[in-house]
Amino acid sequence: MGSLIDIFLIWSPYYHCPFLQATNKTQTHNNIHIFIHSSFSRSIASTIKNLTLIMPTVSVKWQKELYPAVEIDTTQPPYVFKCQLYDLTGVPPERQKIMVKGGILKDDSDWSKLGLKEGQKLMMVGTADEIVKAPEKGTVFVEDLPEEEQVVAVGHSAGLYNLGNTCYMNSTMQCLHSVPELKSALIEYPQSGRSNDLDQSSHLLTVATRDLFNELDKNVKPVAPMQFWMVLRKKYPQFGQLHNGSFMQQDAEECWTQILYTLSQALRSPSTSVNLDAVKELFGIDLVSRVHCAESGEESIETESVYSLKCHISQEVNHLHEGLKHGLKSELEKASPSLGRSAVYVKDSHINGLPKYLTIQFVRFFWKRESNQKAKILRKVDYPLELDIFDLCSDDLRKKLEAPRQMLRDEDGRKAGLKLKEKEKSSASADNDVKMSDAEGPSIGGGESSKATLVEGAASDKNAQLTGVYDLVAVLTHKGRSADSGHYVAWVKQENGKWIQFDDDNPIPQREEDITKLSGGGDWHMAYICMYKARTYPM
Amino acid sequence: MDPEPNNTTANGTGNPKDESTLKVPSKDPKKKDDKKDEDLSEEDLALKQQLELYVERAQDADPGLQKVALESMRQEIRTSTSSMTSVPKPLKFLRPHYGTLKSYYETMPDSDLKKLLADILSVLALTMSAEGDRESLKYRLLGSEGDIGSWGHEYVRNLAGEIAQEYAKRVNEEATVDDLIELVEQIVAFHMKHNAEPEAVDLLMEVEFLDLLVKHVDKTNYKRTCLYLTSSARYLPGPDDISVLDIAYTIYKQFEEYPSALQIALYLDNMQHVKQIFTSCPDILRKKQFCYILARQGISFELDEEMCADDEDREALQEIINNTKLSEGYLTLARDIEVMEPKSPEDIYKAHLLDGRASAGASVDSARQNLAATFVNAFVNAGFGQDKLMTITSETSSGGSSSWLFKNKDHGKASAAASLGMIDLWDVDTGLAQLDKYFHSNDNHVIAGALLGVGIVNCGIKNDCDPALALLADYLDKEDSSIRIGAITGLGFAYAGTQNEQIRDKLTPILGDQKAPLEVIAFTAIALGLVYVGSCNEEVAQAIIFALMDRSESDLGEPLTRLLPLGLGLLYLGKQDSVEATAEVSKTFNEKIRKYCDMTLLSCAFAGTGNVLKVQHFLGQCAQHFEKGESFQGPAVLGIAMVAMAEELGLDMAIRSLEHLLQYGEQNIRKAVPLALGLLCISNPKVHVMDTLSRLSHDADTEVAMAAVISLGLIGAGTNNARIAGMLRNLSSYYYKEANLLFCVRIAQGFVHMGKGLMTLAPYHSERFLLSPTALAGLVVLLHACLDMKAIILGKYHYVLYFVVLAMQPRMLLTVDENLKPLSVPVRVGQAVDVVGQAGRPKTITGFQTHSTPVLLAAGDRAELATEKYLPLSPILEGFVILKENPDYREEA
Repeated sequence: MGSLIDIFLIWSPYYHCPFLQATNKTQTHNNIHIFIHSSFSRSIASTIKNLTLIMPTVSVKWQKELYPAVEIDTTQPPYVFKCQLYDLTGVPPERQKIMVKGGILKDDSDWSKLGLKEGQKLMMVGTADEIVKAPEKGTVFVEDLPEEEQVVAVGHSAGLYNLGNTCYMNSTMQCLHSVPELKSALIEYPQSGRSNDLDQSSHLLTVATRDLFNELDKNVKPVAPMQFWMVLRKKYPQFGQLHNGSFMQQDAEECWTQILYTLSQALRSPSTSVNLDAVKELFGIDLVSRVHCAESGEESIETESVYSLKCHISQEVNHLHEGLKHGLKSELEKASPSLGRSAVYVKDSHINGLPKYLTIQFVRFFWKRESNQKAKILRKVDYPLELDIFDLCSDDLRKKLEAPRQMLRDEDGRKAGLKLKEKEKSSASADNDVKMSDAEGPSIGGGESSKATLVEGAASDKNAQLTGVYDLVAVLTHKGRSADSGHYVAWVKQENGKWIQFDDDNPIPQREEDITKLSGGGDWHMAYICMYKARTYPM
Repeated sequence: MDPEPNNTTANGTGNPKDESTLKVPSKDPKKKDDKKDEDLSEEDLALKQQLELYVERAQDADPGLQKVALESMRQEIRTSTSSMTSVPKPLKFLRPHYGTLKSYYETMPDSDLKKLLADILSVLALTMSAEGDRESLKYRLLGSEGDIGSWGHEYVRNLAGEIAQEYAKRVNEEATVDDLIELVEQIVAFHMKHNAEPEAVDLLMEVEFLDLLVKHVDKTNYKRTCLYLTSSARYLPGPDDISVLDIAYTIYKQFEEYPSALQIALYLDNMQHVKQIFTSCPDILRKKQFCYILARQGISFELDEEMCADDEDREALQEIINNTKLSEGYLTLARDIEVMEPKSPEDIYKAHLLDGRASAGASVDSARQNLAATFVNAFVNAGFGQDKLMTITSETSSGGSSSWLFKNKDHGKASAAASLGMIDLWDVDTGLAQLDKYFHSNDNHVIAGALLGVGIVNCGIKNDCDPALALLADYLDKEDSSIRIGAITGLGFAYAGTQNEQIRDKLTPILGDQKAPLEVIAFTAIALGLVYVGSCNEEVAQAIIFALMDRSESDLGEPLTRLLPLGLGLLYLGKQDSVEATAEVSKTFNEKIRKYCDMTLLSCAFAGTGNVLKVQHFLGQCAQHFEKGESFQGPAVLGIAMVAMAEELGLDMAIRSLEHLLQYGEQNIRKAVPLALGLLCISNPKVHVMDTLSRLSHDADTEVAMAAVISLGLIGAGTNNARIAGMLRNLSSYYYKEANLLFCVRIAQGFVHMGKGLMTLAPYHSERFLLSPTALAGLVVLLHACLDMKAIILGKYHYVLYFVVLAMQPRMLLTVDENLKPLSVPVRVGQAVDVVGQAGRPKTITGFQTHSTPVLLAAGDRAELATEKYLPLSPILEGFVILKENPDYREEA
C-alpha cells in the first residue's frame, strides 16, 4: 500500500518538495503498481520518465551488430539482463562481458549504482566460440631437442674438424658417410669378435669408422675425428708423415682406396654367411677384359674386380664419358709366350658387373719427374648429374640391363607426359606385334638376371634391378696445384635432396647447378672423385 | 637636359666596361682619376656638372635657391635608383661631395630645407657611409619622414639592415626605440606591399615586434607570410619560435584558414587555440576536417557544447576524433589497391629465390622461427582482419588457429595471441570478439597475449564504452607477472596520450608495490609514460622517481631497468626545459643509473626540437671513452637522432655525425648508431643510409649487425622497398645458421612489408610539420629495448616489438565527400618542393604522376588535386580529406 501512496505523492502538485524527492529514490526497489487517475493526466509525461528509471531501455552493441531498445529490469540482478542478451546473441551469460562505467558488469552488481541512462549505449564483448585448448600433444621444438635429434631438423650431418692438413681424410669420410648401406654394414660389425685373418689395426680402423659415422649422425656441431685419425695413421703410417713438424697433406684418393680396402677386409666376415663382402657388393665393379696382341694375334680374356673406374684425361677428353672409355682401353707391354719376347698388348675392358655405388676417379695427378711431385691436370672435364654407362658394359651385362632400362624409360615416359605416349601408341598400333615379340626376349633375360642377382647374394636389394643409370651423390674436390697441397672438400647430396659442401667443420648448403660447375678448368674446386648411386627399378 | 634614368644606367654599365679594356696596364691613381673625367661621355659630363652645380647652390645663402637645388638633386637621385645593377650615376657623381654636404648640414639652421638635405644625405649614405656608422639611418631620422619607398628598394633594404643593428645597440643601452619602430612600420608596410614578405618578417623579428605584421597582411600575401613564419620557426631559439608561430596562428585565423591555424595550434600543443578554432568556425563540414587532423595527431580531445552546439553533430565529430572510422578507410584503400588477400610469412621470405641456400624445410618446428613467423604475419596483415595463421580457423572448424598459437613456446604464445590484436588493428569490435576466447584459456601466457592484444586493437581508437579499461582492469593485480605485464602494457597502448586519470589511479600503486617484480614495474612505468606522454604530470613523475629510488643495487643492473628512466622521459617528450626539475632530481640517483637517466630525460625532452646545442651535447657525451660497463652512451646516440629528426638539414648533418661515431666510437656507441639511423630515416628508405646499414649488417660485432638489420626494417617500414627486401633476403641466407640474427632479419622483413606496404611508421605527418607524440614514444621505447637486444627482444620480452603499433598509420590520401563516403578523384602525386620565400605561385610538386584516390603517399611526397571540380577542406592532402564541390566549376564542353 505504501508504494501506492508514493506514486500518488509523485503525481501530486508537490512533486518538487525535497521530502518527496527522497521517497522517490526508495521506490526503485519496490514493485510499482501504477494507478492512473484522470485528474493527473497532465503528469503522465513525468511518470514515463520515472518508469524509465526503473526499466531503462538501452542499446547494446555486440561485435558489428547493434540491438536497439533492450529493456533492463533494474529490479532483477544483472544476470537476468545477461540472459536477455543470451537470447539475442547466443553468447552464454558467463562469457558475456558488458562494459559499464568503470569496469565490467558483475552478476551481483547493483544497477542503481551504475547510473544507467535512458538510451545509453552498452557494449558487450563475448563469443560463443570454443575456448582454445592446448593440443594434447605439445609441439616439439628444435630448441628443446637433444642434439642428435636436431640433426634431422637441420637437414644435414655434422662437419669434421681439421686436425692439421686432414682435409683429405675429412672429405673422404664425408663422402663415404653418405652411403647408408655402408653405415648399416658397419653397425653389424662386431665390436670385439674380430676374425682371425684380420689384423688388429684393421679391426680398430673399422671400429673407429663405425664410431665416427655414429658421431656424425648424432651431432649438429662439428666433430673432431681424433680417434679415427690416430687409428688410420697406425694402420697406414704413410699418412703420418711429418713435414716441418706438422702432418703432410696427402692424396685423398689414396686415403679413399686404403680405407675401402680395409673395410672390405673387415666386413668380409665369414660368420655371416650371406654377406660375403659388403664393400665389394657396394662398390665393386667387375671388369672383363680382352687382352689382345696385334703382333701375334694372341687373345685372352681376363676378369678383375676394381673399386673405381678411372677417367683418363687427355687432350681429346672433354667429358667424363670419353675419359671413362679411355680408361677402359689400355696398352700394356708383356712377355708374349708365342713371340718369346715382350710385345704390346691392347687391353680392352668392359664392365661385367655393376655396383650400387659407382666410384669414378679423375686421373688428374701425374708424377712429374722434373719437379718431383704429383702435378695436376687442370683440364675441364664435364660430368653429368645423371650418368648412363650402358655402352661401357659387356654384352652379357647389356642384355641383363635391357629389361629394367625399358621399364625405367616407360616410367619416365609416363612421368614426362601421358599425352606423348598416347600419341605414340596410336601411331605405333600398326606394328604392335613386332614390338611385342621384341619385348619378350629381354624380359626373359631380365628374369634370369634377377635370379642371378638373387643367387649372388645381396640380401640388401632383393628385387631392385640395376639399370646402368646412375645419379651423382657425392663429389670430392681438390683445389690447388698438386695432390699433396691445396685443399680437399666433399660435396654430398643429403637424403632430402639438398647438396651440402662439407668444408671441414663448416657445412654449407649449395645449389645443385653449382655442383656441376666443379668440373675444372680453373683454380676453383675441381672434381677428383665422383660417387654415383645406381638408379634401380623394382621388379 | 635631364637624361632618362634608364639611359643613365645603361650608359653606366657600358662605360666601365670600356674603361677596363682601355686601362688594363695600371697607372698611378692620380692619372687614372684625370683620365676618368676625360672618358666620360658628354651626357655624363653634363650630369656631373649639373650635380656639382646643385651642390654649390645648395650651400647658397638664398633659401629659395637652396630649395630649388636640393629638390633638383632629389629628383635626379630618385629617378635613377630604380635599378641597382651598378651604383647609379647621380650617387656616383655626388660621392666626392658627400663630405661637403655633411659639414654644410651641420651648419644649417633647423628648417624644412635642413630636413630635405637630411633626406638626400640619408640616400647618399647608402653608398658612402663607413660600415657600422649607420648614417643612412641617422639622416633618415633627422629627415622629413616622407614616403620611404620613393627612394627605391635598395635604400629600404639598407635601412632595414641599419635599423636591426641600431635596435640591438639601443636595447643594450636601454635607450628608447620608438622612433625606430615608427620607421619599421613604414618599411614593413612597403615590403608587404611589394611581395617582400620574408624581408618584412626578418626585420620585425630583429626588432622583436612581430605583432605589427598582423596589421599588414592581406588576402594576397598572408599565405606566403605564414609559410615563411612557420618554416623559420624551426631555426629560431625558444621562446622566439613560439611567438612567431603564435603570429602565424593569428594570421591564419584572421583569414579563416582554419586547418593551417589548427596545425600550428597542434604544433604548439595549445589546446586553447584548438578550442578557439572550433568555436570560431561555424561550418560543420570544416569542423569534420579539423577532427580528421586531430585524429591523425593522435591526441584525445573532448568537444563540448560551445564548440558544437548540436548533439548529433557533436557525436559525429567526436566519432571522427576517436578514429572509429580509421579501419574502414584503411580497408577502402586496401581494396582499391587490391591487396586484401592475406599473406603468409613464406610469401614474405620468398625462400624460393634463394634455393639451395635456405635451410631445408625443417621437419621440426623451431620455436624461434615460429615466433618470427608470428610477428611477420602480424605486421604484414596488420589491420586487414584476415591472415593465414591466426584467423584462418573460423572457417575450417576447430584446431587450426589454436594449433598455430601452440606452435609457439611459453612466452611466445603471448606474442602469438597478441598478434590477433595486430591483425584486427583499429577494428575494435571484431578484434575483441576474436580475442575473447583466449581470455578463458588456462595458459597464463595466452591470457597475457590476449590482454596485450586488446590494447593493440584499441591503439589510437577511443570508444565511449572504454572496453579496454573494463577488460584489462581486472587483470592488473593478478599473481602471474606475465598477465600483469600484458594488462599494463595493453592499457598503455589503448590509452596512449589520453592522460586518463583512471589509468593513473590504477597504475601508480603498482609502482610503489614492494612485492611487484622489476619487470612489472618497468612496464608500468612505460605504460604511464605513454598515457601521460608529453604532459609533464608531476604525480606520475613522482611515482616513477620513487620507484627508481627504491630499486636495489642488483635491480639497477638488470636490462629492464632502462625502461624506468624512459617512462619518466616520455612524460616530458618534446617539452624542453620543463624537464629541468626532474633532471635535477635524477642527479641524486644511484650512480649506476644516474648518467643513463640524465641522457634519457634530456633526449626525450628535446626530441623533435632540432636543438643544435643539445645535439652537440650528446655528441660530446659520445666522444668520451670508457672502460666496459658504461651504458649511458646508447641513449645519447639515440638522443642525437631524436633531437635532430625535426628538420631535413639537421637530419642530414646528424647522419654525417653518426658516421663519425661509427668510426671512432666504442662498441656500446656503435651498436646504437644503426638504431639512430633507423629513427632518422624511419619509413624513408634513403639510399645512402640503406647502404650504410647494409654494410653494418655484416659487421663482425653481432650486436651492431642485429641493430643494423632491425634498422633496415625500420627505414623501409611499410614501403615494400624492393631493394631492402632483396638485402634482407640475402641476409636471411647469410645468417641462416645464426638463430638470433635470423630472427632479426625476419622481423625486419615483417617491418618492410608492414600492412603489405600501406603503412608508415614516421611520427611526422602533415608535410613533416607535426610530430605525433604517441608515435614517437612508441618508437623510442622499441629502440631503447633494442639497445639490449639479447636480453629483451631475443629474450622473453619480444612483445616490445608491438610498440611500433603506436606509430603505425596508413600512408594514404583518402578523399571523402560531404557525407564522409570515399570519393575517387584524380590527384597528382609527386616529390614535394620547398616553396618557402618564393614569390608568385610556384609549383609545389615535381615529377608527379596522376592517380585517382585513394592513393599511397611515400615519404616526401605531396599530392594536389588534379581537378577543379572539388575543393579540399584542408590545404594538406594527407590522410582523410573532405572534398566540397566547387561552386564555380563549369564542366568543359
